[in-house]
Amino acid sequence: MNEHRQAVRLKGVGDGLWVTIDPSQSVDLLKRDLTAIFKRLNEMAVNSKVTLDTETNESHTNLLDELGLFLKDRFRVATVSAPPNRRSRSREEERIRKRDVDRSWQHHRSHVLMLAGRVRSGQKVTARKHLTIMGDVNPGAEIVAGGDILVMGSLKGKAAAGYPDDEEKIILALDFQPEQLQIGGHVVTGIPSFKEGRAQFAHIVNNTILVDDYLKNNPFGRLPWPEVL
Amino acid sequence: MEGKIIVVTSGKGGVGKTTATACIGAAMAMQGKQVVVIDMDIGLRNLDVVMGLENRIVFNIVDVVKGRCKIKQAAIKDRRIDNLFLIPASQSDNKDSLTPEDIIRLSKSLRGRFDYIFMDCPAGIERGFENAVAAADEALVVCTPEVSSIRDADRIIGLLYAKSITPKLIVNRIVPEMVARGDMLSHEDVVEVLSIDLIGLVKMDDKVVVATNTGLPLVLQKDSEAGNAFHRIAQRLNGQPNLPIENSDNGKGFWRSLGRKLRRRN
Repeated sequence: MNEHRQAVRLKGVGDGLWVTIDPSQSVDLLKRDLTAIFKRLNEMAVNSKVTLDTETNESHTNLLDELGLFLKDRFRVATVSAPPNRRSRSREEERIRKRDVDRSWQHHRSHVLMLAGRVRSGQKVTARKHLTIMGDVNPGAEIVAGGDILVMGSLKGKAAAGYPDDEEKIILALDFQPEQLQIGGHVVTGIPSFKEGRAQFAHIVNNTILVDDYLKNNPFGRLPWPEVL
Repeated sequence: MEGKIIVVTSGKGGVGKTTATACIGAAMAMQGKQVVVIDMDIGLRNLDVVMGLENRIVFNIVDVVKGRCKIKQAAIKDRRIDNLFLIPASQSDNKDSLTPEDIIRLSKSLRGRFDYIFMDCPAGIERGFENAVAAADEALVVCTPEVSSIRDADRIIGLLYAKSITPKLIVNRIVPEMVARGDMLSHEDVVEVLSIDLIGLVKMDDKVVVATNTGLPLVLQKDSEAGNAFHRIAQRLNGQPNLPIENSDNGKGFWRSLGRKLRRRN
């Protein structure tokens, strides 16, 4: 074995830890390296699901059993298992799988209801999750969403986001002049538009609905990476 | 002859639907078309009074629909304007006396006799409105520059779109001086909210009150600004859709408009 390759490597996957070990090394060396790595994890290792991967096609049942017992004893991990049998897939199967993954976005069912056009007085738009209106919402119209509301135009009607009780949601409009706002049960009326021609959004701070400039307080900053909604 | 049915509506009451119907109908007849105006406000008829034909009513639209008379008997001919007819509403029935199916049936025979059929829609969005728009090919939405009128017009426009009718907008009762002072919404503000095609602007005109009370057609008075505006709307409906819409705002006279142009350039 060359020097560069470590005997034990660890990465976090989904709901557990994936430990890659080099079965050609001695059991003592592996235990020593495992101890070094798992000590660093402290409490995180407790009750975790550990997968031991030998990266070979041969089975090392004895080795895995021994290391599994060792980890359970020493670091109180919940389960230790061998990796799922993924290498049995044929090349053809792999190709199809890859293709399906690439195309998956085409079959993705969106949680966003996106409408283009003008919502007029007396009309009511209800969305189970997020709602995007590419157009104006006239006075007297009503838009209700379980998630966020984005209006790419002027909002002059009534808007209720996070319906009925989600206080994390926001209402954003490029031209923000709503009649009435509701976010998760909080209601506010008579909002003065303090910055004309600037995108603004309403959110809840300390149990009150506040209106802020969108570009100065990016409400989506709370999300660390792009998420599919 | 395949006539066109145009419904004049607004949602809100008292914005000038009846006056607009009478004036546009009369103006269209003066352009040589066979025109009938129908009062759909059953139980609260007004159009006959505005047109000065009140004392000549024998039969009404309910009689026509129920088969008690022929269209020819119920249609009152205006003696001052050729080719202009009125089918009045009944004052003693209510709006449930007619159904949308009745109107669709009636419209078939009307289309054969007239070039243009104007329907004066009652205020509201209930049965009366349903009846009036049942057979309509086109719609004119009358709106005054007031927030309440715009709100109702917006609702009506939504309902008309739902019936696959694309309406056109008449902004009525504009007072250019008040618009200039900023005390009244301008027609641009109205169009911005309603976002439908504008077909005419009608200024506030005292002569309307006089004409309505005396039953003298407004469009026969040459010096009435509102009457002229309705003439132009009729022209736009009757094959001149590109007739420019007169800008009724503050800018009076040549020098002020020139000044405005220079200022804009700077």
